[in-house]
Parts: sequence; C-alpha cells; structure tokens
Amino acid sequence: MEAEIADKPSFAHIRVKLDPGDSIVAEADAMASMSSDIEMSTRWNGGFCSAILRRVFGGESLFVNEFTTRTGGSLVITQALPGDMDCFELDGNTMFLQPGAYIACEPTVKLGLGWAGFASLIGGEGLFRLKVSGTGKVWFGAYGGIFSRDIDEEYVIDTGHLVGYDPSISLKVGMSGGIFSSFFSGEGLVTRVKGPGKVYMQSRSIGGLAAWTNARMY
Amino acid sequence: MQHEIQARPAATVLKVDLEQGESLTCEVGAMIAMSSGMTVETTSRQKGGKGGLMKGLKRMFSGENFFLNHFTAQNPDQSIYLGPTLMGDVIYHPLDNATLIVQGASWLASDPGIEVDASWQGFGKALFSGESMFWVKCSGTGDLFLNSFGAIYEVDVDGQYTVDSGHIVAFEETLQFKIGKAGKSLIGSFLGGEGLVCKFEGQGKLYCQSHNPPSFGKLLGPQLRPR
Repeated sequence: MEAEIADKPSFAHIRVKLDPGDSIVAEADAMASMSSDIEMSTRWNGGFCSAILRRVFGGESLFVNEFTTRTGGSLVITQALPGDMDCFELDGNTMFLQPGAYIACEPTVKLGLGWAGFASLIGGEGLFRLKVSGTGKVWFGAYGGIFSRDIDEEYVIDTGHLVGYDPSISLKVGMSGGIFSSFFSGEGLVTRVKGPGKVYMQSRSIGGLAAWTNARMY
Repeated sequence: MQHEIQARPAATVLKVDLEQGESLTCEVGAMIAMSSGMTVETTSRQKGGKGGLMKGLKRMFSGENFFLNHFTAQNPDQSIYLGPTLMGDVIYHPLDNATLIVQGASWLASDPGIEVDASWQGFGKALFSGESMFWVKCSGTGDLFLNSFGAIYEVDVDGQYTVDSGHIVAFEETLQFKIGKAGKSLIGSFLGGEGLVCKFEGQGKLYCQSHNPPSFGKLLGPQLRPR
C-alpha cells in the first residue's frame, strides 16, 4: 500500500494506492473518489457496544468503511474540514486522539474509547477520547496546520487546539494566568499537559472560527 | 492570451494577460484587479451571441449568475486578476472543439469562443448527485478556467470510476455517469455514510474536488448562533 498526504496544510487529503490483498479502514463518508476495482464494505466501528459509546461520547461515527481490492486500485480519502492531516505508525503502543480527529488506519489498528476525565471536559476537549492501539499506520486530521512537540515537564495548550497525545501525557485544566488575565487575555481556560510524551496540536480551532463568525452576525 | 495560476490550492488567484482586442468572459464578481485599459460589458449571453433571457435563467438554476461579464482589452499589454469568493483551487482546461460538463458554480472564466450554457442532466442526477439541478455545459474552442472549494485533482478515466456525491468539479462529455450505491449493499452504503455515489463510465478526463462546502457547513453550522 502506498499512501501520500497531498495539498497540506489547507486542503489535505490522502491519495491511496492499494495492491491486491491490501486494505484500509476509513471513517464514514471519508471517501471522495475511488477506482472501480476497489470494494467498499461497511462494518461497526469496533464492536456493537463500543461503536455506540464512541458515537455518543467520542464524536465518531457508528460505522467505518473498509476498502479492499482484488486487482489493485486507488482511492482518495478526505475529511469535511479544510485543514491539515498527519500520520503516525503504531508499533504495539497506544495513542489518544481528540473526538473527530480520526480519519483512517490500517486494518491491524484497533479503535477503542478511553475515558479522558473531567479535566478534559472542562478544558473543552470532551469527556472521552479515541484510543488507537495495535500495529500499523493511523491518519488523523485537524482544522488548521498540525504540529507536534515532545513534552518533558509541563506545557500549556489553549482550549480546542489539542489533537492527539501519547498515553503517558496527563491532562489538567487550569487558568492561563491569574483570574484577571485569564478572563481578559482572551485565553480563558487552558489545558495543562504533563509529560514525558508527544503532543499533536492544531494551529487553528473550529470553535475559534465559530466564535469569530458569531460575533459578526447581526 | 497568457495565463498564470498562483497560490494553489487554498488562496488561488488567476492572472490573465490580454493583447489589444482580446476578450475574456468571467463569472460576475470574480474580478479582483485589472489594468485601466479594459472595458467591461455585462450581458446574459455569449459575447456577440444571440438569445440571452432563457440562457441566463438556465444558468441561474445551475448555480451560476444570470449575467456574464465580458472584459475586453482596449490597449496593448493588459492584465486581469480573477479569484473565487471562497478559499480554493483554480485549474486550466483548454477546449479544442470539445465539451466539458461543469458542476454549477465551478465555472470561473473562459474564452469568448466558448459557449457557457446550462444543461439538464435528468431527475435522478439532479436529486442524488449532490450537485445543482442544472450543470454548466462549456463547448467550443479556447481557454477555460474552473474553480472549487478544496483542491482539484485530475483523474483519467478509462473504464469505470466512482466519485462521492458533492465531489465532482467537471468531466469531459465522453464520460457518462449513473447514480449508484457505494458498497455492495444499499443499507451498508447508507450506514457507511457514503450513501449514493456517482459512477462514471467511458474514457476521458474527470476533475474532482478534495473538499466541499456542504460537508464543512455541517460541522460549522451547529456552532453558529441563529440570527
């Protein structure tokens, strides 16, 4: 299988070439186009119960699509948001993704739901997070550019900018400064992440766009 | 006529250089800047063509404007910059006595030798293709420019090819498409979020867009405050 992320960072999409026997799993409605030798089958996103949990709490869809081919073919996978995509490869380890960030993975990757805690909820990041584990590549997307940072100690991330992180990272909600500057600096609540581990962030947030638009609608 | 497409694919701008006497027909509102020696004529028909009212109305149904702007260079070495309203891509497709079927709202500009007309593709396609009721039919000889929200990629179809609804930009007339299901089972196709797709057949060039405004709108819309 060959997969390349094209048109980063504003309109990223994945161009996939499948050889006979290869397959790729993608989020519902992520397929933009495909050659006729690709077959699509729909299945529960994990098991029945975990699919429902992920739908209700994780912001993911109930179903995923698996694309296979007998003779070889190509397809294009995209996301609804105009933005960036990135890829990491799992080697028996686990990663957490924020609701809605998951796009596609190799079929050997397991999708699950993890409890993120109340700190995550208050920080605007949701009560649950998507847990990807196993072996294989995972593609994920965001609104805005994606950048990563290896955290040793503690780091502060603004609400809505966290995309994914290692399980060794712990989240804590906090204020960006004192009470006055937290309210008037425009930062408000922030997420304090504690390492060591890797964190993926996005350069823009859809909540920020919505707030900007709302302030201009009369 | 010389052209240059810059800042692809998100903030694309099209620059066209015109010699004295040359014209370019553009979508209303697409002009960003131009030389002072250009004149603009706004009509509902092809430059120097006949008809008008019906063609303008049909074009409106296809998601384009009732009017067309014809820019003509009165002096030598004139230039014009064009850009679509939304973020997105612009591509160039020259026509040589051929026809390109374009999704409503994706037509940006063309040589006055190209006729820009709306064409009805049938009820099934109108309802299920995720595109407008009418399509824009560009036929003739000359330069043609298309735009979209999202990056545009090109597919050379030889046989069959499937495109999800809402991702078609344009296709050569040598291609035909039918509405079909994405997977083997109809229920699966709907549950999988793909629903109905457009299945192309034939030989020719197909342009698709990586993103589309309705999908983005579905994510952003619920976060907006009602007016």
